[in-house]
Amino acid sequence: MPLDYPIHQRTLANGLRVVVSPDPSVPTVTVNLWVNVGSRHETPGRTGFAHLFEHLMFQGSRNIASGEHFTRLMAEGGRLNATTWFDRTNYFETVPKGAYELALWMEADRHGHLLDAVTQENLDNQRDVVKEEKRQRYDNVPYGKALIEVYAAVFPPEHPYHHPTIGSMEDLDAASLEDVHAFFRRYYGPNNTVLTLVGDLTAEEGFAAAERYFGHLPATAETPRDTLPQLAPLTAPVTVDRPGAVPNDRVHIAFRLPVDNTDEFFASALAIDALGGLSTSRLVQRLVRREQVANAVQAHAMGFVDGVSLGFFVLDVADGQDPATLEAAVVEELERFAVEGPTAVEMESALAQSERSWLSALAGHEERADLISQHVLLHDDEQFVNTFLDRIGQVTPDQVREAAAAWLRPESRAVVRHLVAAEEDAA
Amino acid sequence: MSTVTEAQGDAARPEVAPPGPWSFPVPARHTLSNGIELLAYDIPGQYVVSVRTVLPLPLSAEPRHIEGVATAMARLLDEGTAEHSPEEFAELLERKGIALGASVNEAGLGVDLDVPKRHLPEALGLLRLALAEPVFPQAEVERIRRTRLAEIEQERALAPQRAAREFVATFYDADDRASRPSAGTAETVGALTRQDVVAFHARHVGPQGMTVVVAGDLSGLDVVDDFEQTLGSWEATRQTTPGAAAVRSPDAARIVLVDRPGSVQSELFVGCAGPDRRAEGGWAPYPVLGFVIGGSPNARVDAVLREEKGYTYGIRSVFRPRSSGGLFLTSGSVRANSTVESVGLLLDILDGVREGLTDDEVRAGVDFVSKTAPGRFATADAVADEAATLALEGLTTEFTTSNLERIRALTADDLVTAYRRWVQGEWTVVVVGDASAHAEGIRSLGRGEVAVVPN
Repeated sequence: MPLDYPIHQRTLANGLRVVVSPDPSVPTVTVNLWVNVGSRHETPGRTGFAHLFEHLMFQGSRNIASGEHFTRLMAEGGRLNATTWFDRTNYFETVPKGAYELALWMEADRHGHLLDAVTQENLDNQRDVVKEEKRQRYDNVPYGKALIEVYAAVFPPEHPYHHPTIGSMEDLDAASLEDVHAFFRRYYGPNNTVLTLVGDLTAEEGFAAAERYFGHLPATAETPRDTLPQLAPLTAPVTVDRPGAVPNDRVHIAFRLPVDNTDEFFASALAIDALGGLSTSRLVQRLVRREQVANAVQAHAMGFVDGVSLGFFVLDVADGQDPATLEAAVVEELERFAVEGPTAVEMESALAQSERSWLSALAGHEERADLISQHVLLHDDEQFVNTFLDRIGQVTPDQVREAAAAWLRPESRAVVRHLVAAEEDAA
Repeated sequence: MSTVTEAQGDAARPEVAPPGPWSFPVPARHTLSNGIELLAYDIPGQYVVSVRTVLPLPLSAEPRHIEGVATAMARLLDEGTAEHSPEEFAELLERKGIALGASVNEAGLGVDLDVPKRHLPEALGLLRLALAEPVFPQAEVERIRRTRLAEIEQERALAPQRAAREFVATFYDADDRASRPSAGTAETVGALTRQDVVAFHARHVGPQGMTVVVAGDLSGLDVVDDFEQTLGSWEATRQTTPGAAAVRSPDAARIVLVDRPGSVQSELFVGCAGPDRRAEGGWAPYPVLGFVIGGSPNARVDAVLREEKGYTYGIRSVFRPRSSGGLFLTSGSVRANSTVESVGLLLDILDGVREGLTDDEVRAGVDFVSKTAPGRFATADAVADEAATLALEGLTTEFTTSNLERIRALTADDLVTAYRRWVQGEWTVVVVGDASAHAEGIRSLGRGEVAVVPN
């Protein structure tokens, strides 16, 4: 079934790419902005900065008081937030239709005139808030740093994905007001941003409003650098052991993958599903159901743009089992899959579950807008939401096998093991 | 600081047009031949159809020595049926893109299914098999038991879960089922046998009293027939007696410090008794109060603890209704060396709401809760979840619509009166953090007796 969400795109004179996707089924409008800056753009000594900067976007701009972005829009019935990731920063709100121009006006104010309002006090306060976010999400959680360790093991030092978006405490401490000014001037501007509007408005209404509120902003952002060339798979296995106060051993087995939005990436993702991402996948059947040496197996593929993506399996080791035995089983299944490829049932299942999760993602305006912004900003493909299922539907079992043979080779794995430490060793 | 001057070219601040009226979608209702109540919400454009079955089943129905049997039973429903082995059944689900999940809470059993529209009929056939013909293979019972035991250790290691467990143990009377984990303890799960699971299912799971909700783009489907052919053909009797309201412990108002040496943050979990949706005076004030107190970075709690002090990433307040009675809970984590001050500030802020709210706070809270409703209930799964949650309490989504109307009419006096009805400064406080660093300081706050327990 080809999808046919209406998509209208226009680029303003200042370079702002605007997409409008009308959907009058709900009397709301979702405003979604993607800025082409993420932790991959950070410099050594300033990790975590893109995310800290995102927090400052809520602390006032030329015509908006500190905190007003949340208070005003929530009081109009808005639900809003922002997030930072390796590849980008996004800002979004869903508001009743009658408030969407206010939302655009407020977004334009901070995306155009943040620096009028940035203060040392706000920087210091949000630095503290971000440190608590880091402690809450990573430092005070069993296995909380596992993915950070995966990034560091899979990607080479100095590579944009080697360090996590949350950054380090030392670098957060080092961030200064001068950094805020320089970062804003370099990366924020209509020519480095995509604006998507989804909801109860027409394309012409959306384009007119975008012009009204953003059209006068100058194209101030610097031209982005080219993305990096594709990284080859690791040539020898890497193992990182982290003994600590964890309830059971957990093993992450990770691989470099092709960049996002390529047939090779989609094929790799389907291979990962067949191996570990379904309740019927090979590793779940073998390790969880039959041998019962794992409590759970998960698998994920994360698409990135800067020369590499990431795929990984997570094994929760059952009490009393040796993580090395589980890892050996994974190696065996990877080798077998690279020769056999997926079965017809595995292909059917992986595609069927991809279809459901894609349709579920598109069901709400918020995520639909976010996916449109993503693919316009990073891939210049405004129709992606409509074509993705057809594209993965065309991936052949042979392509899936080839992707596994090229990218999921046992010798290319990076293994991060969180192991139960004896009491006296526990951190 | 706001200014009225505008830079050249900036558009003027636009006015906001008020939203029009909105009400929750109205379902088509049908009683299947075996008595199951079917509620069908047709939502054009929602291509993944959400199905929610709910069955009132109080956790107090579990025998004391095998608590957790209801959760184990729910998790085993799709692990093998009379016709299909566990692996075959999983394959049938995956090939059609079906997500099936079952869980229990204090009020009952819920089995949820999401599926692309065109596979709905097959999905309902599998749903019927899971509910009506599970066989609970011995090997799967063993596996689910072992997984639950591992999960108990995971919950112990996670500060928010550890805090929640200590909270119910402190707040509720030790003889009440609500004082113990819904999915059972290591001792009770360890005692569980396959026969217990089989017997629990046979006694308590059947069509009588069940409601099934379906939401999504239903055009071109004969939903009533699809359900009649599947769930409607299920015959079974059940013997479940309704539960009673959970009983608060006589010494609930105290502070418990769960000791985690070296913790870089402290998890705070503060609460008292709250209303259910049928409470005297109505439910309407409570979602608004939750928002005004702890629903945003600029709500009462985070305005101080996050935006002024920088002690937390965020603390949230919520009135959580149960089938009878409820809780008012505030929880989140703070920097370790701010623990004592944060506990004092938090309790002062929560007590301070008894003194009154500003008109701006009331307006903002009322508008947020009422005007976000169309967006919050825009998708099939959100509609189905709301209808299922209410059905378990014997309510329909007309409640959602009428409650929103009442919310729009609330005044500051209404909110403060509602708050005072439940909040009298009798707090149950759980802190998960480093006792050696904080116990003395918390005692010196003078906010109640402090007990230290191991993690």
